[in-house]
Amino acid sequence: MKGDGAAAPKMLPSDLLSKKHEELDLIPDSELVTAYEQLRDEESSAGDAYPNIRYLYGTSLEREKDRREIRAQAESCETEMQQWYEKARNEPCTWWLKNHLVAKHALKSCLACGVCTAQCPAAQYYPEYNPRIILDTALSDNEQRLVELLKSDVLWYCGQCSSCKPLCPLGNNLMGLISSLRFLAQLKGYHLHSVRGRQQYAMRHLCGGNLWNRACSLYFRNVTAEGHPDFGPRHAKYQSDAEGQMVRLGANPDRPGHFGGRKLSPQTLAEFRSCLASGGTLVLWNQLEECASEDAGASGISIDEYHDRVHREG
Amino acid sequence: MATAMIAPETIKEIPENDFFLTPSCILGAINPGTEILISRIYDLLGLRWKAAGDRPESQCTCCTGFSSHGDLISIESTLLVTARLWSVAAEVGIENITTACVTSYAIHNECLEMYHHEPGLHERVDRWLQQACGRRLQLPKHVVHASDIMYRNRQALAEKLRYRLVDHNTGRPLRIVDHVGCHYAKVFPEKAIGGSESCDVLAGLIRAWGGETVDYPERRHCCGMGFRQCAIRPNRGYTMACVLKKLESMEPWKPDAILTNCPGCNLFLDKEQWAILQMTGVEYNIPTLSYTELAGLLLGWDPYDVVGIQGHTVPVEPLLDKLGIPYDKSKEWIKKENQEATSELA
Repeated sequence: MKGDGAAAPKMLPSDLLSKKHEELDLIPDSELVTAYEQLRDEESSAGDAYPNIRYLYGTSLEREKDRREIRAQAESCETEMQQWYEKARNEPCTWWLKNHLVAKHALKSCLACGVCTAQCPAAQYYPEYNPRIILDTALSDNEQRLVELLKSDVLWYCGQCSSCKPLCPLGNNLMGLISSLRFLAQLKGYHLHSVRGRQQYAMRHLCGGNLWNRACSLYFRNVTAEGHPDFGPRHAKYQSDAEGQMVRLGANPDRPGHFGGRKLSPQTLAEFRSCLASGGTLVLWNQLEECASEDAGASGISIDEYHDRVHREG
Repeated sequence: MATAMIAPETIKEIPENDFFLTPSCILGAINPGTEILISRIYDLLGLRWKAAGDRPESQCTCCTGFSSHGDLISIESTLLVTARLWSVAAEVGIENITTACVTSYAIHNECLEMYHHEPGLHERVDRWLQQACGRRLQLPKHVVHASDIMYRNRQALAEKLRYRLVDHNTGRPLRIVDHVGCHYAKVFPEKAIGGSESCDVLAGLIRAWGGETVDYPERRHCCGMGFRQCAIRPNRGYTMACVLKKLESMEPWKPDAILTNCPGCNLFLDKEQWAILQMTGVEYNIPTLSYTELAGLLLGWDPYDVVGIQGHTVPVEPLLDKLGIPYDKSKEWIKKENQEATSELA
């Protein structure tokens, strides 16, 4: 956490939007967070919270602001579940399988019939992926096998569709098990050992950034034509006027309302953030930051360059 | 091959009225018409619904589903976020949650089920929720998907349709292939109308509205959306491969359209047809519609101003031509009058 007493050049809020992490890093926490909020709320009038939030998503400033806020809350470790996840980080993987709320209810036993793999879309696409072996590893009670799994790319191939569940004769919940193991891989920092695991830093600031600042996993401005060349020229045309098309249909892009793109009130956002914090999620997000910072440092690149790299490698 | 009628015992209890509608991240971000059409159809059917409380702290947030399946959210945070949404519903006196998204549907049901399986969880979440935002945990009576409500009201809707699912020139029933979202039918197969193998939630709508359904071989295959698979660019080959598998499987039946009830499926089955054309040279061009988009078109609502077909990658107009639905192509990209101008940051 950057102390407020640290010497740093004063910057006008709008200057901050063009700054990279190295420059933002010099600014004390409270000054940075306040500057972000001033920029977000400039010219705010009653009933229109966050008038400038559209300019802040995906910026170094928003990521750095989030990094500081999350670190402060995670390090205070005030809630029961924050403490639980901090403790779980240092327990064996076998302990996790017996104690994590999802993992402990996910599995019964296994007949090794392989119907999970036969049904699995990911197993059809990735020849090395076999959900039955993940299940077998989880049931093995073998710490070394579990650690190897958590460090692997295959852990991240599951599409979370649950196609394996309806036909499993024992009703195992492999989708839940794999998601739980992925959570553990990140808590322990094992995700850094795989390309697919390192991508979680991109997810943390894409979906996590949207959740923390907009209480929604996806923001309509995320789906750019440049980011989705697979969507083709008609999508590019639509997206060039997405806000206009949304208003035409009755949605609420960056406006108050119930539908697509809506801005939520500060009071609702505060309740939502409290729910995330109380449930222990910020322990994971802070761990992802620490791991990314360490990995970027080892590669000799900035955290902004690292963020860009994990979006593209794989 | 027509889809068989389902056994009565596979039809679950669907509430008649009073719905708390929770919105969808994906629909909101990229297919807003589908979500708004839910509310329009609820209104048309005279159903009572709400999407927020009256207080500024009582608005509807994300359920965390996309991020939860993207492995970013603890299960306890998800339990708290859904409990908060249930509390807002209770605040406005509603016991029935209807989700616009099938992943939300699965998330809400997973949370509800956990209270039955984990001793002491109800008390713990209630305590955490009070500490986090001063609310109390109140379990909803029903969690259903908005397509369940359409299914229950499919005959009532059929009576209001201006157009039927038939070729208006020949009288031929249009051939519609359904793609039911995995998180509707596979997470809790026992809660899917007709079960996961012969799910009827969309096929029933097609039949009621005059069309013909096809049980094509890969009907149950996932669209490949996959959360982290579609969100992170190097992973998207998986999504494209799943869409291609489905298109190759349905193509021999020459479908007139694909019908979906999942925000992600509706997005990727439509948009990846362009990528697949670039990759394979094969132009499938099968219009892909959500169940509310199809209902809106058959009800005679404006294809561009109300349904929003201009947001689709595969043009929907050829389907409108078959149905005999008029449209003014020059209105495709116009903006609504009096639209608020986008101001630049000072």
